[in-house]
Amino acid sequence: MDFPRYHKEIVGDLLDGKFVLATDAKFIELKNNADFYGKFFKETFDFYLDIKSDYAYLISEETMEMLSRDICIFIGLLCYELDKEGKNFLDEIQYAEFDAEMVDSLLDNSSYTDLILNNNQLKNSEARKQFLGTLNRRNIIDRNSDKKFTFTPAYKVFMDFAKNFAKGKLAATNTEEDSE
Amino acid sequence: MRTEPRTILNFLSNYFDIIKELFDVQLKDGLVRREDLNAILAEHDSDILNKLIEYKFFKKIADDFEIRPMYFKFLEFILSEFKPLLPETIEKYEHSVTSLFKKIKEGINKDRNILLQRISDLNNEVRDFTEAVEKNTLRLIAETKELKSNVDKIDYREKVRKASFWIDYYITPLNTILDVSNSDSITNRLLDISQYINVRRLNFDDEMARQQFEKLYVFLVQTNDDLLRQSKILTNELLPLIERIRSESMILTGWIEFLKNPNKSETPFIPKSIRAYPYNNAMYFNSLEYVQQYMQNDDVYLEDPNLSASDKWIFNKEFYREQLMKELPMTNFFEWAGITLRSEYEDIETEKFFSLSTLLFEDDIELEFDPTADRQVIRTSDMNLRVPKIKIKRHGLS
Repeated sequence: MDFPRYHKEIVGDLLDGKFVLATDAKFIELKNNADFYGKFFKETFDFYLDIKSDYAYLISEETMEMLSRDICIFIGLLCYELDKEGKNFLDEIQYAEFDAEMVDSLLDNSSYTDLILNNNQLKNSEARKQFLGTLNRRNIIDRNSDKKFTFTPAYKVFMDFAKNFAKGKLAATNTEEDSE
Repeated sequence: MRTEPRTILNFLSNYFDIIKELFDVQLKDGLVRREDLNAILAEHDSDILNKLIEYKFFKKIADDFEIRPMYFKFLEFILSEFKPLLPETIEKYEHSVTSLFKKIKEGINKDRNILLQRISDLNNEVRDFTEAVEKNTLRLIAETKELKSNVDKIDYREKVRKASFWIDYYITPLNTILDVSNSDSITNRLLDISQYINVRRLNFDDEMARQQFEKLYVFLVQTNDDLLRQSKILTNELLPLIERIRSESMILTGWIEFLKNPNKSETPFIPKSIRAYPYNNAMYFNSLEYVQQYMQNDDVYLEDPNLSASDKWIFNKEFYREQLMKELPMTNFFEWAGITLRSEYEDIETEKFFSLSTLLFEDDIELEFDPTADRQVIRTSDMNLRVPKIKIKRHGLS
């Protein structure tokens, strides 16, 4: 049986929890063999492969994994604080270059103090530095230098999550109101 | 007496700051209340009310004032600040245009002057319609960009409320009015009219009417282009922009709800890192080598040393301290320790040697040693210790 080009790298990256980005040559190969890889990951690991127009990643049913929760908390806080400063956070996350010191300043002055201090990945500058390293390895951010980074298209996963979360909450509120 | 037009324009120019504030008030409230007027005039330390009435800028309504429509439209135009018209107000043009067109068709072979008047009226109605659409589009662009830039830093809930308001009441209905694919839209009605006029401008008997049809046709073609442009702005720019604001606020709502209790909320995806633990191909031989070490076991017998508590050596610190004090001053502490232990035991045990070394930390002695001097080797039962030569004397005595 012939395997697609970059097969080993594709499987390795996805199993490492990386987002495969459209800028990567592997992405085309993955997209061209979407059916094969969809079945491969489902049958072998019981993971679901999600291929979007500009990135692909693996999903599992495991809900206790802490990293994705921490990423959600981090991006959620960032969006909230940017909005508080009157910025269009979607534009910022999509296009702007972030500075680790700026992130520190936003989180250190956030009103979500308890949440931040109780999170081992976000509690202080040193922890955040490590955390950004993890995000970089997973292709969620792209480090331009030691302190500067931009978000990759993978950020959309988290925005979709927030949007669906809001829809779920709003639907729940409406159901409650209807039943009253 | 009629006022010179130049005088009025000079007046508007000289007092433009006040005029602009009055315009803003009327744009917002629909009229200028007496108290608002007084406040503005007091702020500018100016009393121009009589002139405003004399130049017919203001119309008095009970105790309040209204900027006359001519001035208001003029200011709207030069400031590019238009009060948006509700789409249903714009839609009224469809009725007037349709009605006039119907009358033109019905009376095409009747009174010539009435026909010319109707063509002219249709021209005016279409012009008013396109102007109303253009004003609304300009205003909607300004409103949307203001929302997007959010200079006033308004709350995201307010932002989404405003975005929804503009979409639901203005942008979507206006888009429907202009939508070419919608057969009932005014744009399509105007296309029908222009097709009819196109034929008449070429074959109508009366020269004057033909010229009027020609003029109307050219105007309709131009209008059609304008409306398509407006429709494009709405479809390509405003709707995505304002949808983005709505979407952005939806995302923020999601984050705020999630952050209320992130640990109890399910994060729906996991880019989980999977570790693989494959076996090395030399595993069999490595395991065999390891296991073979235990294949043949020699019997090992351990003798009970039968030690009792009294056999265990206990460091009698006081005894050795006295011994040391008797010998002071001494030139080599470790040599003394070695000699002392060897006089009592066959071998110098390391533990005993170290115990004696603790005497160096007694309070009433003074230590002195040369760090550059050669070290001396003391052999204990299980190691060779390289130690410095330490001189000791009693504290305070030479």
